[in-house]
Amino acid sequence: MHARIFWQQLRIGLILYLRIPAAVFWIIAFPIVLLLGLGTVFGGKQDSGVRLVWEQAGPTTKEDALFLAALGARGAVVDIASPSEAQLRWKGGKLPAMLEGQGGHYTLRINSYLAGQAMQTEAIVQEQFMVAQARAQGFGDPERIPVAMSSPGGHQGGPYAAYLLPGLLGLNLLMIGVFSTGIVDVTLRAKGGYKRLATTPLPRHVYLGAQVVVRIIVVLVSAALLLLVGALAFGIHNQGSYASLVMVQIVGAGCFISLGYFLASFAQTPEVYSGIANLIFLPLMLLSGVYFSLEGAPAWLQRGADVLPLTPLIRVLRAIFNDGAGLSNEWTEIALIGGWTLVLFLLATRRFKWV
Amino acid sequence: MSSSLAIEARGLHKSFRDVQAVRGLDLEIPRGEIFGLLGPNGAGKTTTLEMLEGLVRPDSGEIRVLGMDWRSQGATIRTLIGVQFQSTELDDHVKVREALEMFGSFYPRARAPSELLRLLHLEDKAEAYQRRLSGGQRQRLALGLALVNDPALVFLDEPTTGLDPQARQVLWDLVRQLKSEGRTVLLTTHYMEEAEVLCDRVGIMDRGQILQLGTPRELIAGLQQPSFAEVEFLGSAPDSRPFAERLGLPVECKDQSWAVPLGDPKRDLQAVLACIEALNLPMQQLHVRRASLEDVFLQRTGRSLRD
Repeated sequence: MHARIFWQQLRIGLILYLRIPAAVFWIIAFPIVLLLGLGTVFGGKQDSGVRLVWEQAGPTTKEDALFLAALGARGAVVDIASPSEAQLRWKGGKLPAMLEGQGGHYTLRINSYLAGQAMQTEAIVQEQFMVAQARAQGFGDPERIPVAMSSPGGHQGGPYAAYLLPGLLGLNLLMIGVFSTGIVDVTLRAKGGYKRLATTPLPRHVYLGAQVVVRIIVVLVSAALLLLVGALAFGIHNQGSYASLVMVQIVGAGCFISLGYFLASFAQTPEVYSGIANLIFLPLMLLSGVYFSLEGAPAWLQRGADVLPLTPLIRVLRAIFNDGAGLSNEWTEIALIGGWTLVLFLLATRRFKWV
Repeated sequence: MSSSLAIEARGLHKSFRDVQAVRGLDLEIPRGEIFGLLGPNGAGKTTTLEMLEGLVRPDSGEIRVLGMDWRSQGATIRTLIGVQFQSTELDDHVKVREALEMFGSFYPRARAPSELLRLLHLEDKAEAYQRRLSGGQRQRLALGLALVNDPALVFLDEPTTGLDPQARQVLWDLVRQLKSEGRTVLLTTHYMEEAEVLCDRVGIMDRGQILQLGTPRELIAGLQQPSFAEVEFLGSAPDSRPFAERLGLPVECKDQSWAVPLGDPKRDLQAVLACIEALNLPMQQLHVRRASLEDVFLQRTGRSLRD
């Protein structure tokens, strides 16, 4: 009897979930768009990506030609512009850096707003200026340290997308819990939907169980699509076992779905819930290292982020996906995630109200 | 199950924080009856219903539903009752047929969605999303969900609030059909007319108590003045005091009319006409109406239902 109700709830739950365009977008399409977008912008390019505007008043001198050749050799794309044209582009505000002068007397002007972006440009310009000077005085090129590019675990030889993809898998678990579970819970309670169900023989654990399984199915389908896009667009593949990946996803989904129900128990209306959800979601996401490493952040912030549930989850997903790690190598992280899941599950069940 | 009473409640009390929603309510409803709980908003109708439906636990008092106790036989009771809320909010993205199928799946035995769609005149809306339904269609769907398990006892909380007269008529016909099928119906309403035409018996509720119980006819007959003369004026009604003094009867003043209770219609009506004539009042129309449950309520509580 309960099994029959469960399957029926699972079926209708999946149908209803997939009928909400916003849910389908955020959980299934959004991670793919992020992977394609950020993966393309921040990775996989062979040139240095440096674009430079060079303001020149007169004809190109011998020194200029040497400097230009040296910059080109390091993959910088240089636009030579007349002073008036260059000033116009500088005033436009989009240039991180602009090179001024000629015949060996140069100034590099850096946009103070975009100083961070200009750092790489400056490094290449300074370095290649020295190369050009050495060549002009008849010395050979200075020697460089050889560069070897590889992934930390040594398995995935991939670009930034390989760093990003496991992070997005983790982020998706957070999103499905906080946004696509909690909000439904608050809305149903506020509108009397649960009350109506409470007058029927539908057991609440069957209902809630089906709701959780629906979301786990959705999140696994979304993960499968993301892995497929990663393989097709960037040639990155799971280096570990798929069973481990699925297991970590299920535990992580359980953790954040519990979080969603727990947070929802504090809100009377969907509007209030959105506020609470964002308050929790944004720090968890920003501190988890989904997009970038937190290595440069203050130590206290890093240690704090380490004990939040999303950080170890993403670390385990990365270890499996990028380095082929087994679950037994990652037991501290897994214990931390498991602990969070247990605590949040108990809190959520304790606070859950049907009527 | 053997009980001849569908509902038996004794001494129900329920408070929410410092508000006493229900204060000592007794109620017996025999099987096969349409019973109406009548009262203004905040009278405690919904709380009473929710206690009887097993949603809210009374602070004190005894409830038996179809002869059973919620505390020990709740699971059985739930398979035998049907509940319609004031507004049942389903998922926006559910279709009419799916909603009927889903609720049907909760019960050991359920009526076929096609049968319910026919009963509710929703056959052409079977594949429509519930949020696209009109108010009347939505209420009919909510009633359908309450009937999906072929219940012996049906609770309807203000089933026609906010509906236009035509949609209300359709719903009334459906409720009468429930009675003809032998079901017991407990409904709440604040429409007097609804209670008069639909209910076998009515309980007038105010401030958490049932003030008076009986058939609509009994309640109206119990009034000292079973009919009223309404004197209507073209503009606003003039000062009624000279008229009331001369007549020797209380006069109830409204914006453009007076209402005079007629204890003995034959004698009092003649007196009313005579006074109007004598004072040369600019009366436009005079008509006599039978007292309604509204008047019963007004007399019992000193307040109008729509306050």
